[in-house]
Amino acid sequence: MAYFMSLRRLLAAATAVACVAVTAGTLAPAARATDKKMTVAYVAPSLDISYWQWVAYGVQTEAAKLGMNYVGMTSENSPGTQMNNIHTALVRGVNAIVIGPVSSSSTPPVLRLLAQRHVPIAFTGIGPQPGQTDYTSAVTANNYETGKAEGTFVCNLAKALGGNKVGMLSLPQDRENAQKYLKGAKESFAADGCDLVQVLQTHGLTVNEAVQEANDLLTGHPDIKAIYGMYDEAATGAVKALQTRGLIGKIGVATADGSPETIKELRQGEIQGLFLQEAVGQGIDATQQVYNALTGKPVTKDIPLAEPLVTKETIDSPQAQATIKRVYPPSAGAF
Amino acid sequence: MDRAPETAASAPARTGALRHIVSSYRSEIAIALAIVVLELALGIFVPNALTMGNFSDIAQATAPLIIMAIGVLLVVMTGGIDLSVGSVFSLVGMVTGLVMDSGFSSTIATICGLVVGVVFGAINGFLVTFVGLAPFVVTLITYAVAGSLAFIVTNGHSLPINDQGYWLLNGGHIIPGMPNFVLFCIILLIVVEFLLRRVVFGRWIYAVGSSPGAARLLGIPVHLVRFSVYVISGLLAAFASVLTVSYISNAEGTAGAAMMLQAIAAVVIGGASLFGGTGSAIGALLGALMITVIQNGVNLIGVNSFWQGSVTGLVILIAVLIDRVSKARR
Repeated sequence: MAYFMSLRRLLAAATAVACVAVTAGTLAPAARATDKKMTVAYVAPSLDISYWQWVAYGVQTEAAKLGMNYVGMTSENSPGTQMNNIHTALVRGVNAIVIGPVSSSSTPPVLRLLAQRHVPIAFTGIGPQPGQTDYTSAVTANNYETGKAEGTFVCNLAKALGGNKVGMLSLPQDRENAQKYLKGAKESFAADGCDLVQVLQTHGLTVNEAVQEANDLLTGHPDIKAIYGMYDEAATGAVKALQTRGLIGKIGVATADGSPETIKELRQGEIQGLFLQEAVGQGIDATQQVYNALTGKPVTKDIPLAEPLVTKETIDSPQAQATIKRVYPPSAGAF
Repeated sequence: MDRAPETAASAPARTGALRHIVSSYRSEIAIALAIVVLELALGIFVPNALTMGNFSDIAQATAPLIIMAIGVLLVVMTGGIDLSVGSVFSLVGMVTGLVMDSGFSSTIATICGLVVGVVFGAINGFLVTFVGLAPFVVTLITYAVAGSLAFIVTNGHSLPINDQGYWLLNGGHIIPGMPNFVLFCIILLIVVEFLLRRVVFGRWIYAVGSSPGAARLLGIPVHLVRFSVYVISGLLAAFASVLTVSYISNAEGTAGAAMMLQAIAAVVIGGASLFGGTGSAIGALLGALMITVIQNGVNLIGVNSFWQGSVTGLVILIAVLIDRVSKARR
């Protein structure tokens, strides 16, 4: 009896496997025959942060414009998952990869693998580990120069408000971009005569956390005259804390990134300066570079995008509006 | 003449009541003292730490965590766990923001948010109680689903709250001089503490957590108790969320990401056992307060915030060890 049961199970399993094989065998060539377009895969470090979603939007729209298929993947902030995604993308037969790596240090094995397979790869947001050369292009923000420029802006803001002490709401300092922002800002503060009294780092990049940190900053250092935000939610959190304390206009705020929320706050005079980081633009430019590589056109190895400053006075200029359209998609909110 | 014996009799009665309170809330008193000592020590380094402004900041920062932690406490007391509260917190915020963004009133949006919390609590309760799945597995699933839905409902975008009056839910004053977030915490504390100490249902929660088999033999509706605590936990996570949305005028898909572990930590610091059967609302409140005071202190002193997790972990370890030693002595 047990023998027959085992036999029946074996037959059922064999039939199931055969059905799957026949179906896959029938459909796959048909799919291949109808789909000759090139495919670009975008591997994001995570999609819980708007920034990476906006890069994805840039990749997707540019891919559509160039007649490419688009595949999106997320690495959930894990180098292991990132590597698995790359393998999966290769199995799916993608022609090129645009990646926002989990970290710069996670990139060497990815680059080794893609170099072996001759698949072009472009970086967005975070670049490859220094010393790596086997990549098509790296489209990143110039965080160091922006850090310097924002440092000067924030210092002048503090001086205009009658002091020279400033506080900072920082991205986690284990990130290369955060370190570059901080390095640039510190150099500017030293050169311009401002005192950076405290740097508080975020863990979750939420507004709620930034409100608490801004409150702590203001409690610990009531004499600060300006707050340097390194990410969008920092500025929104700082504005909320200042509103509660009746300090809007008495303490200045500037930040990097840009979103519908911070642009609204800029227009209302709650934020004085915004250094726009072109998330969508990074996706567009990176996709263009891998497309160029696939079609034999010239590529640009390193594209450090500037983060231009916009203020309440310049926000509606054609130049600023064109830049904002490269920051976030229309679905995120008003420009 | 009549008053003398009355006073003489009431004095020992008062002493007895005080002794009873001290004995009942020994762990909680220890935590409260620890918080006071921590705050005073912080005041030595940063005098502004002891200002009313900073106390108000701490109260505001800890209010949503207190509300969430009290919900988690009830689940933990029955021997369960609710890992979904952080994701439910995020999802409720997004739903509330989305409903408001779609043109509905803030009242309807808030109710929708609370309903989402109740629904997730009911799903947890149903699967744990009536299907018999492990609470860890069930709430891990709903944690993942709610976290995912929090992004799906708005395609990942955060939502600014444009209703100018919505902040009143959190920052308004139903009672003059007392912000609503403080009032809500006090009401919740009193209601839950009264429920646990004086209402039959509360005693059932202790009984189910201590020994579900014995509780069943005693005729306690174990299924009903278990189902109810998950629903309450979902509701309170939702309420904490709408309060936060009201405070920061913003809904974010990641808003609750860090809160689940903090809520469980608050419950454990507050003296509850993860095996069930023990715990108090005051303990959960003090646990939440302890976590916020540590975060506040680390920020004020200027310690690298990477250390926050280590400091919180150390405090939890000390709290658990003290609790174990004091129980062993008893």
